[in-house]
Amino acid sequence: MATTTEQVKVMTNQNKFPPWYLKDLYRYLSAFAVLTVIYMGFRIYQGAFAISTGLDSTEPAFDVYWMRLLDFELVFIAFFTSIAWGWLWFTRDKNLDKLEPKEEIRRYLTLTMWISVYTFAVYWAGSYFAEQDNSWHQVAIRDTPFTANHIIEFYFNFPMYIILGGCAWLYARTRLPLYAKGISLPLTLAVVGPFMILVSVGFNEWGHTFWFREEFFAAPIHWGFVIGVWFALGVGGILLQGVTRLIELLDGLEDAA
Amino acid sequence: MSANPSTRTFRPYTGEKARIARAYDYLVLVLALFLFIGSFHLHFALTVGDWDFWVDWKDRQWWPAVTPIIGITFPAAVQAVLWTNFRLPLGATLCVACLSIGTWIARIFAYHYWNYFPINMVLPSTMLPSALVLDAVLMLSNSLTVTAIFGGSAFALLFYPSNWPIFGMFHVPVEAGNSQLTVADMFGFQYIRTGMPEYLRIIERGTLRTYGQVAAPLSAFFSALICTLMYTLWWHIGKWFATTRYLKRI
Repeated sequence: MATTTEQVKVMTNQNKFPPWYLKDLYRYLSAFAVLTVIYMGFRIYQGAFAISTGLDSTEPAFDVYWMRLLDFELVFIAFFTSIAWGWLWFTRDKNLDKLEPKEEIRRYLTLTMWISVYTFAVYWAGSYFAEQDNSWHQVAIRDTPFTANHIIEFYFNFPMYIILGGCAWLYARTRLPLYAKGISLPLTLAVVGPFMILVSVGFNEWGHTFWFREEFFAAPIHWGFVIGVWFALGVGGILLQGVTRLIELLDGLEDAA
Repeated sequence: MSANPSTRTFRPYTGEKARIARAYDYLVLVLALFLFIGSFHLHFALTVGDWDFWVDWKDRQWWPAVTPIIGITFPAAVQAVLWTNFRLPLGATLCVACLSIGTWIARIFAYHYWNYFPINMVLPSTMLPSALVLDAVLMLSNSLTVTAIFGGSAFALLFYPSNWPIFGMFHVPVEAGNSQLTVADMFGFQYIRTGMPEYLRIIERGTLRTYGQVAAPLSAFFSALICTLMYTLWWHIGKWFATTRYLKRI
């Protein structure tokens, strides 16, 4: 039996990588790569300069190596937020009522990628650099709220995951019909709850300034962070919302080889 | 990806649909991995923290009580979603494995390589045996009550024996400065921690030590009681967070 033109087209599409539903795969992998370089770069910077210039905040070298880094971070965060949130908003889909099922499926996978990048930033902020903060407090005297680890953890890592969480929320709100019609409670919880961790920095620094100079990690002064991170469990609801809709869309799709 | 069997006649996808579903599964897997390393680790570090960081905090009273009580929280919440909706009996093991990955990376790169604490001083404890049993009890019983009572108790009771092969050697007595102390205590005295002075160390406070060698089992049984309650509480917290509601406005 001869191979028809239609069959050739299908076979060609099958071999195409990435397939249509993973159109943003390379962007997704690039985001992981860029974030990894940034976070590992911070760790290498700390390894190189924290002991030599980061132990005494009154030293002129502290201003050069650490306070300038803080200034750079704040400018970068402001710039990145404007670009990322602005791009997501101004390129929003204004014809969501006419969205093709296949495009909606693709967007659900892209939303999962956004949330995944968000959780990757949560990893660096909530796991690695958070525990590293305890380690640094054991070798440095706390003489400033802007320590060599706080400058990275509180003023880059925390804002960064919040921005990426906001990106995921905005992507869903502007490109997926169900999220545009109503505001997803679990997605909002999963983004706004961890945002409160950043706000808890204020309580933490206030407490450490006037009340508790040591670094007892399990102390109640830190529990604001803990409550904030519970809201990450909202991802369970996002998963259920996504799976339910994807099943509807896939069931309506014609079977393809 | 699979739907809840109770709400849908199960018919496996084939061809492209199966590939889409599988791609979604992998994306969710990566998402879950980093989510639980980041979130469960932060929750754990700021509640159990010091008992897990330092070898000289691993006592018979608080360490075997506090660790399982806090450690059963996320596993219960994640089981409530993964078992109820997807029949995946791995919520506890997933959370605890993620926690282990996060703690090990931090102990090696943040404590050992950055600030030169000996790795033996900052070894993380393990809850993997406890988590495996918790998942197995839920899978076999398919019951919240049975899992809370028997799984929750097992989660706590298995903690100390699971960790004893790792940490027992640091409880060997030594004599230093005309005092008898443990190797773990020696670590604490030799490596100065500016943020964690000795007067803050919470180990074996109170009169529990008058029971001598049964102090650790008593703590473990107390932990088992609380774990049964914590399991139930956090199962419902997990269910609450896994809402599928859409709001009109926030």
